[in-house]
Amino acid sequence: MAAGRSRALIALVAIVIILIIGVAAYLMLAPGREAERVVVIGTTDKITELDPATSYDFFTWEVLSNVMAGLVKYDPETGEIVGDIAETWTVEEGGKKWIFKLRTDAAFPDGTPCTAKDFVRSIKRVMAIKGDPSWLVTEFVENVEAPDDYTVVITLKKPVSFFLSVLATPPYFIVHPDYPENEAAPDATYGGCGPYKIVDFKRDEYIILEPNPNYHGEKPKNDRVIIRFYKNSEALRIALENGEIDVAWRTLNPDDIEALKGKGFNVIEVPGNFIRYIVVKVDQPPLDSKKIRQALAAAIDREEIAEKVFRGTVEPLYSMVPSTLWSHVPVFKEKYGDGNLELAIKLLREAGITEDNKLKVVLWYTPTHYGDTEAALAALIKEQWERTGLIEVELKSAEWGTYVDLLSQGKMMLNLLGWYPDYLDPDNFLTPFLLSTANTWTGTGYANPRVDQLLNEAQIELDKATRERYYRMVQEILADEVPYIPLIQGKLFVVTSEKVVSIQVSPLQFLIYSSIEVSG
Amino acid sequence: MSLLRYVAVRSALIIPTVLVLYTVVFIVMRVLPGDPVRAALGVHYIPPEELEEIRSRLGLDEPLYIQYFEYLAGILRGDLGESLVFEGRSVWSDIIDRFPATLELALAGSLVSIAIGFITGGLAALKGGIVDRLMRVYGIIAYTLFIPWLGLMLQYIFSIRLGLLPSGGRIDPRVGLEEVTGFYLVDSIITGNPHAFVSTLEHLILPSLTLGIVLSGAYTRIVRVHLSEALRSEFSIAYRARGLRESAVFIHALRNSLVPIVTLMGLQFALLLGGAILTETTFSWPGLGSFLVERVMYRDYTAVQGAVVFFAVIVSVVSMVVDVIYAIIDPRIRY
Repeated sequence: MAAGRSRALIALVAIVIILIIGVAAYLMLAPGREAERVVVIGTTDKITELDPATSYDFFTWEVLSNVMAGLVKYDPETGEIVGDIAETWTVEEGGKKWIFKLRTDAAFPDGTPCTAKDFVRSIKRVMAIKGDPSWLVTEFVENVEAPDDYTVVITLKKPVSFFLSVLATPPYFIVHPDYPENEAAPDATYGGCGPYKIVDFKRDEYIILEPNPNYHGEKPKNDRVIIRFYKNSEALRIALENGEIDVAWRTLNPDDIEALKGKGFNVIEVPGNFIRYIVVKVDQPPLDSKKIRQALAAAIDREEIAEKVFRGTVEPLYSMVPSTLWSHVPVFKEKYGDGNLELAIKLLREAGITEDNKLKVVLWYTPTHYGDTEAALAALIKEQWERTGLIEVELKSAEWGTYVDLLSQGKMMLNLLGWYPDYLDPDNFLTPFLLSTANTWTGTGYANPRVDQLLNEAQIELDKATRERYYRMVQEILADEVPYIPLIQGKLFVVTSEKVVSIQVSPLQFLIYSSIEVSG
Repeated sequence: MSLLRYVAVRSALIIPTVLVLYTVVFIVMRVLPGDPVRAALGVHYIPPEELEEIRSRLGLDEPLYIQYFEYLAGILRGDLGESLVFEGRSVWSDIIDRFPATLELALAGSLVSIAIGFITGGLAALKGGIVDRLMRVYGIIAYTLFIPWLGLMLQYIFSIRLGLLPSGGRIDPRVGLEEVTGFYLVDSIITGNPHAFVSTLEHLILPSLTLGIVLSGAYTRIVRVHLSEALRSEFSIAYRARGLRESAVFIHALRNSLVPIVTLMGLQFALLLGGAILTETTFSWPGLGSFLVERVMYRDYTAVQGAVVFFAVIVSVVSMVVDVIYAIIDPRIRY
């Protein structure tokens, strides 16, 4: 019995010693990175392909914008296009030939200089790989050459007034020479000559960035950026509340943002260029009647939508061009006002609609792609239209894969949709929707030769004032013919812990990681 | 039938199982409205001629029977194709990247469910009365729990309220684990990284607890039934009559009730992988389940086909191994 007890005692002492040694070793081997200024960002987005030749989604473009650089970029303060790798440029042959002089101090993280030849190789690579975003190059560029190490000559197919805006997009970024010649590299971490280099990437888990020691611009305000990926907004919110992340980026639900405001987190509001609208199928009855379309536009109350569905996290939108962009005219407000039932009823009656012969329409939405609020948005629009007493609305939904297919086949009478710009120019908010040769993807069936002419002329017109006049005219026609009903313009929200001192978002709504400063 | 022949026949059955599943998933993916190119592009504008070019490059303009047989030939060669949505990414590397995460979670969840099942079922059988009734109620409740709800509750309590455990992910990226096998617990031991081990363990607790609790209901029930039967059986009475202590009788009874419990473990495997899908989404766990859900949304035909074939092979092999083990234990099964 006594022997048994002493064995148990020895075993207990041994376990305690092992535990103490284990804890001591654990503490002694603790990573010595505590003094570093590390920023942890959480997002529900994902990285698709770390290759500007094939990636075509918001978040991957954001990451690429932080690890790569192009000839020009958007100035975060003014929103104007300024030089990045290019120091100066001149335009010849009436806007067809662009000559860029590059800076000589730009380099990749491994010290390789960033030259005109790298730019030419990167662009030709995008053209050869023919990935999803390649049209941003092939649609405009005829040829690109490097007469010497620090000069780039781009020849366009025709003059393009907004070419510099397009040139600031990721397909024009310079990639490291290790990117394979004519082959997509979805997991490549070679990067470019931007402010950061990629030090670790574990798909769907995290990506770790550290400053590029050879970056030509202002040095980042932190030593390390870790981005962690979450599956949904609940998980993102919990991670922020639990202190696992310092910054909750896209996308938290409006309810989560409200709740976090009251818990000591900083909620930063950023005006967004993301727009939401209804696509109207204009080439089939009953919506081939202009009066009926106008009535639908008049009955919409955007203020109510912004308040009830989005809790003030969005702004009402009265044109397809967002209010943050030049040439915007609130044409729908001027023509119809908000929730103008009187006008809607008048127009419906003129179109032959009565209480006994109500207008029957089907409104489609997709339940998750635009967040959990979508069903509520569709329900409120249905309610607003039915307030006229002359419309019966049937709601239908389809998940995203099906939805985009129905959309391109023009099988939906009315449907809710959203748009993130590829480049910041009114052209990108009008041409893809209204130019008859470009808008087939929306299934609206809208075509107007006058609108086509105005948009084509605006595309090659180099004088901004003249372009603005063209775009104003197009917006007037849009409000009159109603192939789309603009609804709201998104605001973006960055929620940060108290540790974050400063943070900045680019005009394209990308987080500028180098601007994030943390205390302690 | 000799054991060897039994194993051969049982292995051959895997082929039609996988073929049927592949055919079903091939047809279902094509019948569903939606197109991988459009789903990936979303509402981005792309000139129609470029769209056609992408479709052609991905082989989506080929007749369906050609697509079917080409992919089947690929499977036979061990090539699961390239993703239609994430260009240049092979489906096999996606699966290999994610499967260890799913398996690690499934094994941990399995351990938790067996442990809880034995404790609750054992207590019910041993104590009887009110304890038995309480454990039976637990079994029913656990079985009916919805994984995302339970996961959120555990996150709320242990992450937000108590701040004890991380709410999601597999590891804290700051600890810098060098990946060898993809099983983080194993990798952290191989590479001698105690921080990674602790971090992985911390991240594994809540997801495996969630999965384990939900799956433990079936174990509670089966352990309780078979153990109480064994405790009442003649051999237990005989042991007691010979003056054996109750704890020794319990051990003997437990051994005798293990066979049906092991059967349940085999049956639970497919369920475990299914449960892992929901757990992965709740805990942002980068496994194969959440991958499959995401790729269905994108209509990424090749990725979905590849993942389903992979799951089918794994489940078939596990089920075969279980059958073979029975055949060894009990030769009557072969006939």
